[in-house]
Amino acid sequence: MSTLELRGIEKRFGAARVLERLDLTVASGEFLVLLGASGCGKTTALRIVSGLEEASAGQVLIDGRDVTRAAPAARGVSMVFQSYALFPHLSVAENIVFGLKVRRVARDERERRLKRVAAMVGLDGLLDRKPAQLSGGQRQRVALARAAAAEHPLCLMDEPLSNLDAKLRQEMRAEIRALQRSLGMTVVYVTHDQVEAMSMADRVVLLREGRIEQCGTPADLYDRPATAYVAQFVGVPPMNVLALEDGPRGAVVRGGEPGHAVVEGAGEGLLLGLRPECIRLDPAGYPARVEAVDYHGADTVVCARLGDQRLLIRVAGHFVAPADGEIRVSWPFEAVHLFEAESGRRAALPPKPAKGNPQCSVV
Amino acid sequence: MRIRDWATGYLLILPAAAVLAAFTHLPIVRTVRDSLFSRGSAIRPARFVGLDNFEALAADPVFWKVLGNNLAFALGTVPASIALALAMALLVDRKLKGQGVLRLAYFLPTMLPMIAAANLWLFFYTPDIGLLDQILGRFGLPGRNWLGDPATVLPCLMTMTVWKEAGFFMIFYLAALQTQPPELKEAARLEGAGRWVYFRRVLFPMLMPTTMFVLINAVLNAFKLVDHLFVLTKGGPNNASNLLLYYIFEHAFAFNDLPAAAALTAVLLALLAGLAVTQFALLDRRVHYR
Repeated sequence: MSTLELRGIEKRFGAARVLERLDLTVASGEFLVLLGASGCGKTTALRIVSGLEEASAGQVLIDGRDVTRAAPAARGVSMVFQSYALFPHLSVAENIVFGLKVRRVARDERERRLKRVAAMVGLDGLLDRKPAQLSGGQRQRVALARAAAAEHPLCLMDEPLSNLDAKLRQEMRAEIRALQRSLGMTVVYVTHDQVEAMSMADRVVLLREGRIEQCGTPADLYDRPATAYVAQFVGVPPMNVLALEDGPRGAVVRGGEPGHAVVEGAGEGLLLGLRPECIRLDPAGYPARVEAVDYHGADTVVCARLGDQRLLIRVAGHFVAPADGEIRVSWPFEAVHLFEAESGRRAALPPKPAKGNPQCSVV
Repeated sequence: MRIRDWATGYLLILPAAAVLAAFTHLPIVRTVRDSLFSRGSAIRPARFVGLDNFEALAADPVFWKVLGNNLAFALGTVPASIALALAMALLVDRKLKGQGVLRLAYFLPTMLPMIAAANLWLFFYTPDIGLLDQILGRFGLPGRNWLGDPATVLPCLMTMTVWKEAGFFMIFYLAALQTQPPELKEAARLEGAGRWVYFRRVLFPMLMPTTMFVLINAVLNAFKLVDHLFVLTKGGPNNASNLLLYYIFEHAFAFNDLPAAAALTAVLLALLAGLAVTQFALLDRRVHYR
């Protein structure tokens, strides 16, 4: 059963189109992440669901009920804001039960919910503090507790972790996920951070300029990106996308040796996608020239040039480039993605690796 | 080094301290001292009389009337002007067409000099031919001597003062409203709070620091404003609109009774200090400062 359904949602601000015909269904208990660069319309989409913004066209259905014109409070959603939106003059406890009081929930019921959510997010002992006396992570917990105390089936989160430092963010990711599971909440979560999306989501919707670029599980987005844009958005470091050109034995990386075919067939108008972690150093591989080395501890990201295209390679451990900068690289055929250069869409792979490739005959 | 540090500090505040001392603190001390001396003349120099001047005040029925007038004036103008200021600020805080013009219109009375504003209102209140009576005349109501009647003169002055003060306080509220994060309103809306609940439970508490500031200023102004009395009533009729500061002026420059004026001034100062301290003590704990 679906908790949330968006049908053909459009949003225009004056002449600017922020969302174009957005269709989306969120199942009950699902953790859905709206992912995208800033300005892609993800926050606008969330605000349309919450009712804080009105759609220019289309319908919002929650639990099968059309709430497109309903007031925010009548939709049965709670929301966690990027800035937390805590009431600074109220204590933690008063913040958490604010909505319950407004909705005239009975006193003992309020107390019961307060105790329960405070224990869940670890705010015991802080209930009398004012938000100003809390750290960023604790404020975030109060915001989460307020959303959980409402016991609405649908919870919206607008970049809730972006004001926290990296270590805390990692902790909170796990906590939010655990909270969502234990309460059985349906969550729509907006973020620009693909790590958050990959690690938390049941399903990711990648938005680009107000349209859905791809919708699928994190593994779908990583393993079978629908477009070159998705390919480069997901994964750290991002997928390499190299322009191809025709060669006598098959497609070659632009500016590379004409004989060093990478895939069968024509190359013009195609892009080659390769994840940095799928490329390996191989004395029998394609020649490349190291341009920069970025040591991260567990691994090293090598920036090299293959033909006239830039290639990032993730090498385990500490990599030291040879003095002349010349390396040779190869990759398994399963790691190859092809995209159409013009539309960016995924293209069909030829059935086999390029034949007669002198260096890479066995892959 | 340390000595030089504090010496530098004192040198830096010296100019301001000197000016304050010469024009504020010294006159206060002199006034309090004068209030304890008799009226001096060429033949009889002033001599120390203790609290005689204050006893004379306490026995003066006009003083009690003026004090009562002033308290009524404060009670009538302070809450009304603050409420009006907040209402106007809420109104022009929204995105409206002609927002700038509207804000200016609300602020205009504050920009007018009190003397000019009082002259304007004099025309409103003029019996029979004034604006007020002309409007009432349309409905068949008889003309009235608004400023000449002890029953209406003080309310008339209060109305004008509220009109004059509200625009000024509105500016402070408007500034405070514009620093309110919009997410708080959105969060409250999502939690089911209507406009009134949001105002009462969130917005008004958040505006408390501004209210506190405005309240103290409004109370001070209720005792400090006299300009309009010179133009409109001169304290009359029969002291019905006389206020403390105007009464001090009368004693000092009309009756030439400087010791009485000094004693009155001391009373006024004590009253204002007491009011300010009470307000802080009562409200400060309830005010949430960010």
